[in-house]
Amino acid sequence: MKQFFVLALAAASTAASAQTPATNPMPDGSRDMYAGVGAVSRPRYEGADSTKVSALPVLQVQWSNGLFISGMSAGMHLSNRPTVEYGPLLSVHPSRDESGSGRIVDGVGVSSAPSLLPLAERLMRANRLAGMEDIGARLEGGFFFHYYLAPEWRLTSSVLYGAGRERDGARMELGVQRLALQVAPQHTLALNAGVTIVNPDYNRAYFGVSEADAWNSGNPVYRPGGGIKDVRVGARWNWALNPSWMLVTNVQATRLVGSVRNSPLVERPTNVTVSAAFAYRF
Amino acid sequence: MMRRAHLTACVTLLLTAGMGVAQSQAGEWVSYRDAYRAMVLFDKYGGPKNLLQHQLQVLPREKGMLGQGVQLLIKGSTVQTSLALDATGRTTLPLLKAAYDENAVLSPSRPLGGFTVRPRTTLALRADGAYDDAELRAACEQALGFARYADNAARARQCIGVRLVFSRQGEQAGVRVRASGAEQALPLARGAAFSGDIDDDFPVVTYRFGPAAGELITYNAPLAIVPLFE
Repeated sequence: MKQFFVLALAAASTAASAQTPATNPMPDGSRDMYAGVGAVSRPRYEGADSTKVSALPVLQVQWSNGLFISGMSAGMHLSNRPTVEYGPLLSVHPSRDESGSGRIVDGVGVSSAPSLLPLAERLMRANRLAGMEDIGARLEGGFFFHYYLAPEWRLTSSVLYGAGRERDGARMELGVQRLALQVAPQHTLALNAGVTIVNPDYNRAYFGVSEADAWNSGNPVYRPGGGIKDVRVGARWNWALNPSWMLVTNVQATRLVGSVRNSPLVERPTNVTVSAAFAYRF
Repeated sequence: MMRRAHLTACVTLLLTAGMGVAQSQAGEWVSYRDAYRAMVLFDKYGGPKNLLQHQLQVLPREKGMLGQGVQLLIKGSTVQTSLALDATGRTTLPLLKAAYDENAVLSPSRPLGGFTVRPRTTLALRADGAYDDAELRAACEQALGFARYADNAARARQCIGVRLVFSRQGEQAGVRVRASGAEQALPLARGAAFSGDIDDDFPVVTYRFGPAAGELITYNAPLAIVPLFE
């Protein structure tokens, strides 16, 4: 029964992964909502060596009809059984540009032939995304399916399509979660591990380097294939400060694997994201 | 500049939440919404359940904290209700939309030193105190059906019997099995009402289902009849 005491509170911007809270039966016409803000330290982009700290909005809303918004995802629980969850899922895949460092972008942008720069000068440049074509935020559509081995153990899966420059990137996330480990009164710990499998179009959009990109960025041309993109482990600690306020802390380590690992854009394959946020329950 | 703004916002939130912590007693409340989620599951269950009852159990962190007279309070902005607890800490939680919408809390009428709540499914008690073996089996199967509905891990389990839990004080806990015209007393032991409970000194009688059908006679009403799965 512990699953019903779990808050699968999503951190809105911490990860590109789709978030689906546990099903939440409630009176007709009611809703359960958390909103808050905090801070997140995360890699500047997937595979970046540098990190950035930014504000972290937190939002999770569930309605009695099964609809939910959780971070960057929205969906609907269609199952009537407490041991299975499934339904349609929409998710916003974050954009990627040279950001973080406007000067670098500007500087690279005015370079007519960066690939002809001396090697030492190119290596000194901190931003491997400089000169790479931007990828806008993308709305992905798909579905999720979760299966409870036991109330505290959940297998998760989701498939989403629509990422990348050409909106043809697809990703499937498989994971396992240990929910609601009560470490002390009002303190719960949830653990998760998972893997992301993507199609070649996804990898080429986010980790590939086209000839045009190579010309503009100085990165060598790279065409990764599909397959397993990353593996990850994480922990979430929820501290219910009082009936209305909660402190949500997330730590997640992700390791890029497969052809993505050797992308010229990847500075380090292992990244850690840490976030903490206060959320108010309405 | 942006980072400074973020930091300021975080510190403000931290102070706000800190005040909230100071105002609340750690561990002395449970969200009504969370309890509601656990309890409404039984209502939504469409299988047979006429021989069962589903209640919320208050579980103090330390043994012996549930004395007589402790009540569970539902406190919302408009909803204020007190619920009597039996000796095992159980009560029937009313499923109130108003309490849910107000994000009400459940708290004990006097400090328990921290507690959690847990849903408990037991067999409905009979006024005459006589339980036919076939009826006990049917009730246990109903409880197992609900357990399987709520928990995939229960799919491999089977009903093996029932545990009758009696009050620590007062009248004697006597249970006899009547079969083929003869009566046999079942042995009394001390144990927990529910598996894993910290209070483990209730008078309990375990009746295991066997090949011979009989009738269970209780001479005093038990607090609970707990289905046993294995």
